[in-house]
Amino acid sequence: MFRSRYSFYVLLLIGTITLGLLGLFSQHGRAFDDLPSEDKTPQPSYATDLNTLTSNILSTSDIPERTEIPAPDKDPCLHCHIQGEFSNIWTPFGRWFLFGSMGLFFIFGVYRSASVWKNKTPWKPILHRAAEWVDIRYELSEPLSKALNKPVPKYATRWFYCLGGITGFLFVVQGISGIMLAFYYNPTIEAAYSSILYIETQVSFGSAVRFIHHWSANGMILMCIAHMMRVFIMGAYKTPRELNWISGVLLLILTLAFGFTGYLLPWDQRAFWATTVGSEIAGSIPVIGELALVFLRVGWNVTGQTLSRFYALHILVLPIFTLILMALHFMMIRRQGVARPM
Amino acid sequence: MVEEEKKKDDTIPFYPDHIRTEFYVTLGVFVLILVVGLVGLLTPLGLGQPADPMVTPEHIKPEWYFLSLYQLLKFIPKTTGAVAPILALLLLLAWPFIDHKPDKTKQTYRNRLILSVTVLILLVGLTIWGELS
Repeated sequence: MFRSRYSFYVLLLIGTITLGLLGLFSQHGRAFDDLPSEDKTPQPSYATDLNTLTSNILSTSDIPERTEIPAPDKDPCLHCHIQGEFSNIWTPFGRWFLFGSMGLFFIFGVYRSASVWKNKTPWKPILHRAAEWVDIRYELSEPLSKALNKPVPKYATRWFYCLGGITGFLFVVQGISGIMLAFYYNPTIEAAYSSILYIETQVSFGSAVRFIHHWSANGMILMCIAHMMRVFIMGAYKTPRELNWISGVLLLILTLAFGFTGYLLPWDQRAFWATTVGSEIAGSIPVIGELALVFLRVGWNVTGQTLSRFYALHILVLPIFTLILMALHFMMIRRQGVARPM
Repeated sequence: MVEEEKKKDDTIPFYPDHIRTEFYVTLGVFVLILVVGLVGLLTPLGLGQPADPMVTPEHIKPEWYFLSLYQLLKFIPKTTGAVAPILALLLLLAWPFIDHKPDKTKQTYRNRLILSVTVLILLVGLTIWGELS
């Protein structure tokens, strides 16, 4: 029966397709709109009797009338009309999920038994198999175990060594919540304000996501400063870690730039005037000031162009630079190890 | 790479010990963020009036992390105020090359602690002043 290695899978596939086709073309579960018209006429039935019974007992008017449900002996799909069952999308979905997972479990069991019977070897857990499959092809286990078994000095588990990691995690949170906001945000002067209002009032959990984005941005700046102070006080920037310090300062600048560009996006009075004043300060830098101002505002005033530019900076340019610098920052820590305190 | 050539009992393996610690910290921050989200559900952040270039509001304040600079600008000339943060950042970038001698005693720790806390108190003081004024 199992002449080649794949015949079992072929059989499995044929069986599944047959079962699926049987299910597809069977009469079971067909809507009774297709039935002859005399069946559709309301008639006294078990269902309506039960309805009147329940309404008598509960004496509430919010139980919907179910006169359209035929009598049990004429019901083409009896189990669809179990009294009191919710008839929304989740009921069939849950049924499919339950019986589907049971079926998958059964198929998996059959496959497993067949495999043990054929190979005469004990069954290896499916995750081991997957890991082996990948390892045979890409030879990852050696470098991976080398990376995972790298010793970490014990002092690096003290609490003040986790500030940088928290900053990194908050950046991930910012990325995810930012993507969620970007689905609904509209960077034009006509729609920016109203799209934020829409997020606040209409989108499910929109106000929570915006709240998280706002406060974890503040937390990220706080954590940056705390991490920087820790490194500064402990002198962890000294040889050979100068470049790590420099990349860290650049990341701080990028974080502040995130804050500055993100502040304009709601396009309310505070955002508009904070950006106006902020870019004015940038404009008073000698020599390059005017250039900076025109670059930030795209012209001499804060307009819709400014909003577009800040949005592009906020969601495209700054994240790319931040990710590159973060990767360098982490790789340098990895390579040089956490600085040894005195 | 000097740190690696230490005795075995001074170190813990990266996996699972260190990863576990990091995981717990991350989990803690994550729970905190969920709580923050719950607060956000109950009390949304809200929005001010829509932007109007014709109407200048009386009190313009930047976010708190720019507030100290903003407060400083009220007392020093604008050009100086614009150049000062750039110089400060350049100083920060160049700091490892200015203070490059290896630490010999704990005294250097204390000196840097005093220096950084002084700068921090100055900045926080300016921020609070700016918030109140």
